Amino acid sequence: MENQAERRHAIDISSIRTISHNPGKEDPCLHVENLNLFYGQKQALFNINMVMPKQRVTAYIGPSGCGKSTLLRCINRMNDLIDGVRIEGKINLDDQDIYAKSVNVAALRRRVGMVFQKPNPFPKSIYENVAYGLRIQGINDRHTLDEAVEQSLQGAALWGEVKDRLNDNAFGLSGGQQQRLVIARAIAIEPEVLLLDEPASALDPISTLKIEELINELKEKYTIVIVTHNMQQAARVSDYTAFMYMGELIEFGRTTELFTNPVKQQTEDYITGRYG
Amino acid sequence: MTEIITPKSLKSELEIASASYYQRWRLIKDSLARYAIVVGGWAIIVAIVLIFFYLLYVVIPLFIPASAQSIANYSVPGGDKGKTMLLAMEEQNEIGVRFTDRGGALFFNVKTGQTILDQTLAIPADTKIVSFSAQSGGEGAIAYGLADGRMLVAKQHYEITYPDNVRTITPSITYPLEEPVVVIDPQGVALDKVAVGIAKDETTLVAATAHKLFVVGLIRTKSLFGEGKLERTVAELELPVENIAHVLIDQELNNLYLASERGELTQYDIRDKSAPVLKQQLTLIPEGQKITSLALLNGGLSLLVGDSSGVVSQWSKVRNEQNLSSIIKLRSFKVSDQQINFLVHEQRRKGFLTVDQQGGVGIYNTTAERELLKLPHVVHQPVAFTVAPRANAFLIQSADGQLHFWKVDNEHPEVSFKSMWSKVWYESYPKPDFIWQSSSSSSDFEPKYSLTPLVFGTLKAAFYAMLFAIPMSLMGAMYAAYFMAPGMRNYVKPTIELMGALPTVILGFLAGLWLAPFLEENLLGIFLTLLVLPLSVMATALAWQYLPKSVRVNVPDGMEALILIPVIITIVWLTFALSPGLERLFFNGDLKAWLNNEYGISYDQRNSLVVGIAMGFAVIPTIFTIAEDAIFSVPKHLTVGSLALGATPWQTMTRVVLLTASPGIFSAVMIGLGRAIGETMIVLMATGNTPVMDMSVFEGMRTLAANVAVEMPESEVNSTHYRVLFLAALVLFMFTFIFNTLAEVIRQRLREKYSSL
Repeated sequence: MENQAERRHAIDISSIRTISHNPGKEDPCLHVENLNLFYGQKQALFNINMVMPKQRVTAYIGPSGCGKSTLLRCINRMNDLIDGVRIEGKINLDDQDIYAKSVNVAALRRRVGMVFQKPNPFPKSIYENVAYGLRIQGINDRHTLDEAVEQSLQGAALWGEVKDRLNDNAFGLSGGQQQRLVIARAIAIEPEVLLLDEPASALDPISTLKIEELINELKEKYTIVIVTHNMQQAARVSDYTAFMYMGELIEFGRTTELFTNPVKQQTEDYITGRYG
Repeated sequence: MTEIITPKSLKSELEIASASYYQRWRLIKDSLARYAIVVGGWAIIVAIVLIFFYLLYVVIPLFIPASAQSIANYSVPGGDKGKTMLLAMEEQNEIGVRFTDRGGALFFNVKTGQTILDQTLAIPADTKIVSFSAQSGGEGAIAYGLADGRMLVAKQHYEITYPDNVRTITPSITYPLEEPVVVIDPQGVALDKVAVGIAKDETTLVAATAHKLFVVGLIRTKSLFGEGKLERTVAELELPVENIAHVLIDQELNNLYLASERGELTQYDIRDKSAPVLKQQLTLIPEGQKITSLALLNGGLSLLVGDSSGVVSQWSKVRNEQNLSSIIKLRSFKVSDQQINFLVHEQRRKGFLTVDQQGGVGIYNTTAERELLKLPHVVHQPVAFTVAPRANAFLIQSADGQLHFWKVDNEHPEVSFKSMWSKVWYESYPKPDFIWQSSSSSSDFEPKYSLTPLVFGTLKAAFYAMLFAIPMSLMGAMYAAYFMAPGMRNYVKPTIELMGALPTVILGFLAGLWLAPFLEENLLGIFLTLLVLPLSVMATALAWQYLPKSVRVNVPDGMEALILIPVIITIVWLTFALSPGLERLFFNGDLKAWLNNEYGISYDQRNSLVVGIAMGFAVIPTIFTIAEDAIFSVPKHLTVGSLALGATPWQTMTRVVLLTASPGIFSAVMIGLGRAIGETMIVLMATGNTPVMDMSVFEGMRTLAANVAVEMPESEVNSTHYRVLFLAALVLFMFTFIFNTLAEVIRQRLREKYSSL
């Protein structure tokens, strides 16, 4: 305990305060306030404050184990599934505290979709994978489902490739196609926020490119938060970038500014490849 | 600098590598391991195939068709000493005898036709022989009816001695009564038809004259001092019909059958020889036909009627709903196009042989309803015919004075597809039915080898066991794998697996000696528990939601199941404590009696409920373990993916987890089912082993496995019973084999469909 307290003092708190939590002054969508997260006795996130604007892409970068995925999972409360996790602080989604007692976790996750590092289609047909989110909401009308499936697959730039084999098993698709299918599955339920946890790290360069193009298209409708360890990717796809290190948010700003003119030494060291 | 590797240098490098001792040893170990695995795998396959072929090897003789071969032909011994009235053979098929119309008895060697003994019966010189008959059954008594109203009764006798350890059979003629000749009709009218029946201390003689019927009973009464004396009763009756052609007395000397040529049958009850009672009169054959031969089937419960159209029909006394017995036709065989001249029953089995007018011989079995062998034109014109006591040979005489000796190989006539799988109308049963009854106290009993009730019992036991086990084990597996706290799971899973290590004989013992009586006494309590327990578990879960958060937070996630333990104990205690009161209130104090009175449901102490619970208990660990593993190994990223889409844990369970785990869950159920089908000890000890076909949960059953276990020790090696038991084992083997193969095929297909990355 004392160690952590010392560590927190070691970081220049005043300098954190100087960076803007809402650098773009745009419509806020997600508001993280004084967020601390503990795995049992071990603290993993330290006093995170940030505002992620609507219909923009926010990227989290940082070395492995810096807490960027943990922070991402806080946004749709996926950390609840892990034993012994304790969270302090607040995350507001459109001014509603998602950690309030009254919040229905399933309903929250419907509003905050998530795509994981590894494509995880269900052992069902392509059609049923996309329709899954709707079916669990009790929507079983064939016409509605057909429409949603087509729109989502088009939204995920996969429609042309799979429209003739919607009833085939999803495992027949390539890794990149599976990842786009998973994105289609996530957007089929029309969430407000889309969380992408290193969505392209398991894919080949061409598939990665397609995913990145897709992210560019999706931000017109969704607020996107993406975790990546690939700084080029962050630079290519995001509007805002947060650099995290050892569980702390070191710097958060417009991507162009953060990459060209970082405020912090640590940020500069990282983006210039001095560690990570 | 770059080195160019030529094929040659590469090769030499590889050679050097393989030459090194370590490399060689590595290769040797690798191939040793490979051969060991291959040999092991093949050994298993070979062992299973060998078991299969051994079963098949024992079973196959059941299906080998009967055969016969001609052994010898010779001219009738003593052909000039009169026409043959009767041919007979003794037990060992060594000596035959020919009774002639002049009262001669010629014993001869069956294989060569050499006369061994030529004896003339003590027929009085002053009269003539007018009729002849032999006893139905194995005693070997014969009777001659004489023209002066008297009857001669004699018996074949074979003395077996072993001088110099060689079996020697000495034939002779004896007279079982004090006098060889008995006066039947004091008026001295010729005896047109006679019949004789000899039992232990009793002889019954029946004779029909032109108008009268005589029933004479001779009973040897034992006195305290030496030989008893013969008591004689005579009953004189009017002939019921004219032209009596056939007279038969059954083996027990209880029934007398008279039949006219036109097919009118009269049955008398002659238990009281002094006062025979006419029981029944009926017509056996259609108008225009004639009865050409009449015989009693072994055991005397059925009449075999051969007619002039070549049909043999079997008639048996059957009790109807009013408990009145009447003679009913059970089945008929179209034997030939000609009339049936001879109809002889087998002495040890429910079979008979026929000879038609043109000398065709047929062998039949009534239970199996089967023609076993048809030999067309054995002789040209048959004049006499007999079957060996063991039904493994027959003698037939043709009109040209030749005797033909045939051997018959017919080991398993009782078995046919119909007798094992369809309803069979057994003697003295009110209707055709599926019956398994392989033995009884009487030797002339009709064996009933229907496998259907056994297969039914097997499936029924498995059904009730699975009905109990599947919901419990699958629900348990789902909870343990997906919802339970890991710490708790670490205790629960090994505990349930330990249940599987319980020897089934202990489970069977508990089921039979503790559970069955307990259930019988607490039937209502059991049903109440089955009803109330799931409800109370759900109620507890609901109540848990409304507990103050401070209480709930203190219980670690997934540990809340622990609070069910006191709930379950209380509820079970409560239902059993309340049930006697409720039973008094609603069911007049006894649920079993109430069920019986209101719905006619009878209660058997060893029943399917007991077996379902006990065998379910044995199967639960198997299903639970495999299904739990399958559910637990569903990749985390699938469940997380589902939850991230806003699905509740239950939706994730039913729509993703179960689907992905379905191959494993399916094979868990199939392995459990395979175990339930093959399980022996529990069903043996807890079912009562009555081979009934009744789906009622309160009735017992007998399964294939238990049947083999019960009856195999007491069956005679290589008998039909023995082989049918092996067939039951083979059926069981095929059952499990088919189930497992089917399960594996379906599992593979499911895995192809639902396998996850």
